[in-house]
Amino acid sequence: MFEALFEFLFKYRPLIFQQGELAFRTSFVGYVSVALAGVAALLMLRTYRQVRGNSRPADRVLLTALRVAALAVLTLCLLRPVLVLSAVVPQENFLGVLIDDSRSMQIADQDGRPRYEFVESTFANPDSEVYSALNERFALRFFSYSSDTDRISTADGLAYAGTRTHLGRALNRVNEELAGVPLSGLVVVTDGADNADEGLGESLLPLQASGVPVFTVGVGREAYDRDIQLGRVEAPRRVLKGASISVELMVTHRGYRGETVTVQVEDEGRIVGTEDVVLPADGDPQTVRVRFTASDEGPRLFSFRVSPRSDEMVTQNNVREALVVVEDRSQEILYFEGEPRWEVKFLLRGVQDDENLRVALLQRTAENKFYRRNLEGPDELVGGFPRTRAELFRYQGLILGSIEAGHFTPDQLRMIADFVNHRGGGLLMLGSHRSFVEGGYAGTPVAEVLPVVLDQLGDGPEDASAERSADPSRSRRGGFYQEVSVQPTRAGATHPSTLIADTEAASLERWKTVPPVTVVNPITEVKPGATTLLTTPEDLVVLAFQRYGAGKSMAFPVQDSWMWQMHADVPVDDMTHETFWRRLLRWLADGAPDQVMASVPQERAEPGELVTVLAAVGDENYEELNNSNVVAVVSDPAGGLVELPMEWTAEKDGEYRATFTAATEGFYDIRVEATVGDELLGEDTTYVQVAPSDSEFYDSTMRASLLQRVAEETGGRFYTPDTVDNLPDDIQYVGSGVTVVEERDLWDMPLLLILLVSLVLGEWGYRRVRGLA
Amino acid sequence: MRSRRMKRLAFVAVALAAVGLASLGAAPGAEIEAEQTDFRRILDQRREIQKDAKPGPSEFYFTRGVYSSWRRYSWAVDYPKADVQFLAAVNTLIDVDASDEENAVRLDDPGLRRFPFLYILEIADMALTPPEVVGLRNYLLAGGFLVVDDFWGSYAYANFERQMRQVLPGHQIVDVPMEHPIFNAVYRIDEILQVPAFGNWWGGVTTECRGCDVFARGIFDEKERLMVFINGNTDLGDAWEWFERPEYPLQYSSFAVQMGINFIVYSMSH
Repeated sequence: MFEALFEFLFKYRPLIFQQGELAFRTSFVGYVSVALAGVAALLMLRTYRQVRGNSRPADRVLLTALRVAALAVLTLCLLRPVLVLSAVVPQENFLGVLIDDSRSMQIADQDGRPRYEFVESTFANPDSEVYSALNERFALRFFSYSSDTDRISTADGLAYAGTRTHLGRALNRVNEELAGVPLSGLVVVTDGADNADEGLGESLLPLQASGVPVFTVGVGREAYDRDIQLGRVEAPRRVLKGASISVELMVTHRGYRGETVTVQVEDEGRIVGTEDVVLPADGDPQTVRVRFTASDEGPRLFSFRVSPRSDEMVTQNNVREALVVVEDRSQEILYFEGEPRWEVKFLLRGVQDDENLRVALLQRTAENKFYRRNLEGPDELVGGFPRTRAELFRYQGLILGSIEAGHFTPDQLRMIADFVNHRGGGLLMLGSHRSFVEGGYAGTPVAEVLPVVLDQLGDGPEDASAERSADPSRSRRGGFYQEVSVQPTRAGATHPSTLIADTEAASLERWKTVPPVTVVNPITEVKPGATTLLTTPEDLVVLAFQRYGAGKSMAFPVQDSWMWQMHADVPVDDMTHETFWRRLLRWLADGAPDQVMASVPQERAEPGELVTVLAAVGDENYEELNNSNVVAVVSDPAGGLVELPMEWTAEKDGEYRATFTAATEGFYDIRVEATVGDELLGEDTTYVQVAPSDSEFYDSTMRASLLQRVAEETGGRFYTPDTVDNLPDDIQYVGSGVTVVEERDLWDMPLLLILLVSLVLGEWGYRRVRGLA
Repeated sequence: MRSRRMKRLAFVAVALAAVGLASLGAAPGAEIEAEQTDFRRILDQRREIQKDAKPGPSEFYFTRGVYSSWRRYSWAVDYPKADVQFLAAVNTLIDVDASDEENAVRLDDPGLRRFPFLYILEIADMALTPPEVVGLRNYLLAGGFLVVDDFWGSYAYANFERQMRQVLPGHQIVDVPMEHPIFNAVYRIDEILQVPAFGNWWGGVTTECRGCDVFARGIFDEKERLMVFINGNTDLGDAWEWFERPEYPLQYSSFAVQMGINFIVYSMSH
């Protein structure tokens, strides 16, 4: 509306004034007329001065001003102002027209009609005004683009099946192809979706350098009236069989505020989990946490789905998939206890039935006497606590019970810290009179990796050992002792290690009923970056963890969690204690790498896309190896095998890379094997899903801001289907290429006439009113 | 006349000898009885049977089960000297935080499960009440470990079987093989010795009934975990009670202490 009004008053559209420069084309007659006007003005001034009549000074000033203004307008017209423009020469320039042929153009959000209908009616129809105007002025060159850019003869007949959109790449590609011809600009017809990994800003630099303007035509709605969308899913890449998986995903919507929807998790058609969510205000993202159990091993494609509503505008964005590799393997944990304790018995009982956990027990029963249990072979731990890194690093988890720091050599203490920091294992310290400060760990390397602050006021490791040797009973009596009720923190309410029931709500209720336990290690402070999961009303830390280096550490300063099994109030068949330990230890060992770890950076690849396989290789001390012989054996969905040698990347120690092209849809199985000489270091298997991308239907509203930015940064303009009629004229004056100078007269602008008439009538009218006429 | 005097003298001599022999034979029994009576009285004066047991700061309590029986105080045989002396040995030989005090708890006490190690003996007269049956059952199924000791003969064993059929119906009593980890938890036990009562050994025998051979049997749960260890036709408790006496053979006292320590360490790690 503004533009229409502007054009009425100023004769031309605002774009003409933006592109043009003001100039005057005054002729000899014009100069004479201006001189005569000047004389007339002086005479008029003199007249008003001398002839007063019954006028006031203010009257004379105003009347003078009106008459002078009218003369000025007249003078301006006589000076013949013009706008000087560069206009492209018809048919001397090329115009690139890029048509987005990705899947998002199929979305029917134009009153039930798909977006591509606008393209076909405007840019593929010779009878279209826009098309014919462009065709008259330019040599049109059409391109289709999505993940690739192709030259096409016409915009008609496109499939709109592209699975990804790379706008920046497409613009540069077309600009390069048309670099040798006079190019007026590029027209891009798109909804603005861009799935490129690289930033769009970088892609526009070549266009800016070559001065090619981009005219963007946005199709589709900027916002849907009614739509539910599942955002990206954050799921672990690998889990142990039987693990309880917690997955976070984002739900956004429009038009369903306050309604309850159900997110379903499916494993090959079988529903394994559900979660209800009440939708918040329009546009507000809602985080949903869904829990389910990974029961079957192998690569599992879990689907997360919200049932589409009948009135939803886009239903393809109601489902997300995540590939999770479920491993049926045993996590090995070493549990070192310094004395017979009931915690040992019930902890081992709690995880006894878990086939994916092996807790090897090394228990000191007397000075230099140890009891071993759950061994893989008779030689395991035969020399006591490991004395070499290789011996310790074979485990994924380490539990230290009631064992004082003084029992270890300085190298062993450092080794325990390296177990977490370097090897990536999980360390758990249990509460007892020989743990934490009471056990002399303050100031040791182990204290560095623990998530809790150990007060330096405690005895050093040597002192604790001497005390114990001199008088064992003294080290056990006295000091802090408190019976506490345990409650989860906000983080602990949802953490997988503290989930003691099937659902978070049930777990929270269960925590309210667990019997009290006792603490002999008063810990109140966790380190920055650590998270407290369980606490007490007295703000004692009961369970905390932190990520440290490549691994993680946990502190559980409770000495008798077995009371959650044996307290009189606990029913015999209650499984809380077992569930707690099973989940805690699984989480403790989860993520600890092996000597050889294979991975594929992308979760998903498209058919024909290049897939990169990476391998991290280390020796038994988990020192990175750069001279290993690494091979990847790739099995495609059809069963074909390809052996790929992997090369050290030289960018990172121990990292090897290979690539292959995934031609067929389906799951690819990639087994990586690493050797040094004849010695097999290890092997690992990873998977990649090859399938067309579904990203086009997510966040598929028209990105007006993006398209406006592209246009502004390149000197072009942005249009919608309502304003696209101006496109041909605008290109004529905005575009680059072969141009000619054009002049447009401004003296006959309606505004000037209106102004002149208004001033004259205004002067006459004022005199009439004042009685001066 | 002379023969009548000789007969009289012979009678007196025999009578004196009989009295002398009787005195010798009765001396230890009486002595034992006296010592136990004094001990028990002193302790009874100190405290009663705990009705509301609390764990306190110690990790391990040698807990003696108090049960109903036809004969009063069957549960209390050797108590508390055997318990306290055994604990002294435990605290000396292994590094466990064990209370050095006796701890008797009723089988129907709600606090029983706070003591996952339980010892009972003299079960020939055991007659569990329904609450005791339930209490012991819940105790064992939750994870408690029971050691049974000091009973002799088939009658006693049959009574125990009857009682356990109420407590753990469907669970069989089976032999515990010598390869079982309980025989190697701390001390390697290659042979089950029949440990005699102190009074019996004074008489030079190990058994209290003819043909009563020592055995080791147990009750396992559905996951093959040992819940009950039954020492039959033996008396470990007496060995614990009298091992400080030089006349009690070291062989048996050592064995009894080793078995007891194995019970403790096994039960605290399985």
